[in-house]
Amino acid sequence: MELQNKKIELPDFLAEREQVLTTWPTGKDVKFADGVKYQESLPEHKRFAAVLKKADQEGKTLSQPRAGVALVDEHIALLQGLQTACDLLPSTIDAYTRLNRYDEAAKGIAKSREAGTSLLNGFPAVNHGLAECRRVVEAVDKPVQVRHGTPDARLLAEITLAGGFSAYEGGGISYNIPYAKKVSLERSIRDWQYCDRLVGLYEEHGIRINREPFGPLSGTLVPPFMSHAVAIIEGLLALEQGVRSITVGYGQVGNIVQDIAAIRSLRALADEYFRAAGFDDFELTTVFHQWMGGFPENEAMAFSVISWGGAIAGMSGATKVIVKTPHEARGIPTMEANRQGLNATRQILNMVQDQVFPASDALAFEVELIKREVRAVMSKVFELGEGDIAVGTVRAFEAGVLDVPFAPAACNAGKLLPVRDNHGAVRVFEAGQVPLPEDVLTLHRDLIAERARAEGREPSFQMVVDDIYAISKSTLIGRPAK
Amino acid sequence: MQETIVIGVIGSDCHAVGNKILENVFARAGFNVINLGVMVSQDEYIDAAIETNARAILVSSIYGHGEIDCIGMRDRCTERGLDGIPLFVGGNLVIGKREFKDVEVIFKGMGFDRVFGPDVDLQHVVDCLHQDIAVYNREHLAVEAAA
Ligand code: B12
Repeated sequence: MELQNKKIELPDFLAEREQVLTTWPTGKDVKFADGVKYQESLPEHKRFAAVLKKADQEGKTLSQPRAGVALVDEHIALLQGLQTACDLLPSTIDAYTRLNRYDEAAKGIAKSREAGTSLLNGFPAVNHGLAECRRVVEAVDKPVQVRHGTPDARLLAEITLAGGFSAYEGGGISYNIPYAKKVSLERSIRDWQYCDRLVGLYEEHGIRINREPFGPLSGTLVPPFMSHAVAIIEGLLALEQGVRSITVGYGQVGNIVQDIAAIRSLRALADEYFRAAGFDDFELTTVFHQWMGGFPENEAMAFSVISWGGAIAGMSGATKVIVKTPHEARGIPTMEANRQGLNATRQILNMVQDQVFPASDALAFEVELIKREVRAVMSKVFELGEGDIAVGTVRAFEAGVLDVPFAPAACNAGKLLPVRDNHGAVRVFEAGQVPLPEDVLTLHRDLIAERARAEGREPSFQMVVDDIYAISKSTLIGRPAK
Repeated sequence: MQETIVIGVIGSDCHAVGNKILENVFARAGFNVINLGVMVSQDEYIDAAIETNARAILVSSIYGHGEIDCIGMRDRCTERGLDGIPLFVGGNLVIGKREFKDVEVIFKGMGFDRVFGPDVDLQHVVDCLHQDIAVYNREHLAVEAAA
């Protein structure tokens, strides 16, 4: 397999498509022309890209939950229960389907029927197939997105897009590194080029499908510049295959200045890199994920984390916010718990709607810092790929130039170690092979040293572990017990 | 003597953060930790335990499919000659927010010796390991001597 960032030729795509559709029996029901016709029949208010574009023009922040259960009728009831509390709907896919283990998903469906309750952590869309996906889309009155974590998401894309879902989350990096163990990056990037090419094909037929690289990655102390680099790369790969509606994402770290700077810089950088690559006809929006790491078990405390995320999402100007629930620390939320998270978020979004986070030196400094970090990493990726971003990405992960903390994938170096500074911003404790400029590294070191002095201990792995637990134990920074 | 234990996250589960912390905690507590990482099948735990002569297997399940993935684990251990090996399980073991004591009943019913929720004090787990391994060694060695 020769990976390159080049639009897949139509005959090659179609040949591959024939094979993809045979990987599970439900694939045979998918016909592209019929998918286009079905998508054309959706009203404007159920088209994800259109709703995002409108929100962006009006300066609004939309809310979206995560939700998915094993059986179709229950899934419909869940989405119907949620749609009055949110702007955009999801269908979160179960973990067996994410790894193409459809036979295990089938067992999960059977066991869920027996138990009378969902025993799967999401909606097994491939097993249910095209007609059932359409039943879901028809039963609700908001746009629906497929949210998952699938390294090879080709069949899932075929079925759900022909099924009327109008947005598709993921990417060859962001749905490999945090979600898989032994899948090579060449493989996952190539399989996601297929998904993007499919979306591009819909685009050629006048159907705009929104694509969203998964911003938060491992959700655990990821420095903004690293997730930004991944989002920008996945955006570039998608544009090449013909995608035109892209939502770049970011997971909240919890420090207000760093979080607002992150959304501002993410949008600016994505726009800059997409244009530099020769594209100017894309629709760019942003998504802010409420805190993606460990949550407090206490539900009142969880609401506090949710609302803080909602406030920052609104004030940062993100186009949408992905909402957590008071059940986060324990298990898949009930519909009621999910609605509570959405209601708490909507209240704070409304309250900050007309407030602008004031410009300040601190904010400008943080925006500039992130931009310099991203540019340093991106230029190394282009250099390693001799101009090809797909090749460069594979080589950059091999070299540890791109490196995601706490990720399970074997192709990720795992040498980059983050830790919070004395104000809770996430900084680089050990850079591994990530090519940050010398003065930037010194800055990170100084900021961490300031915290270490305040705590009367040396920076160490224990400090990192304390930070991993901190929010679940009611603080932002993992200070040692007094 | 340094005892060997096998840890890992079962099934199709990708949650890696807790696993990395468990490795660190158990290693510092003096165990020889064989960490299989995420997405581990029942047989992979058992293969590793046989190969390294491990004294306990610690299964994590975070993503909610534990109730499906863990079925038959005890029988599989017995079948493959790991009679009575201490089997611990911990994490967010089932789908949804359920009473821990109900979850414990389900997993004890499957043959796990000890069942832990996500907020368990890991020092307590270390103590349990020492205790259960001592019993296993005594009974296991006694069986071996008799044979
Ligand atoms: C970070 C995170 C992620 C990251 C994981 C990145 C990575 N690769 O590690 C991302 C965003 C990728 C992710 C993805 C998913 N996640 Co997630 N995730 C979390 C989150 C927020 C924190 C987990 C974490 O790292 N905690 C910190 C570590 C230190 O704690 P820990 O993992 O619990 O481990 C400790 C204890 O459990 C215990 N322990 C664990 N195992 C064992 C074993 C033994 C023997 C013992 C004694 C103790 C023990 O000790 C560990 C160390 O302290 C939790 C919710 C939460 N806790 O707030 C959800 C959560 C675990 N995720 C969940 C789910 C369902 C998923 C997905 C399936 C998506 C979905 N449908 O929502 C996918 C996974 C797909 C797959 N193939 O597995 C659910 C599980 C639901 C359930 N059980 O009912 C949770 C609880 C959220 C929720 N309420 O819905 N997730």
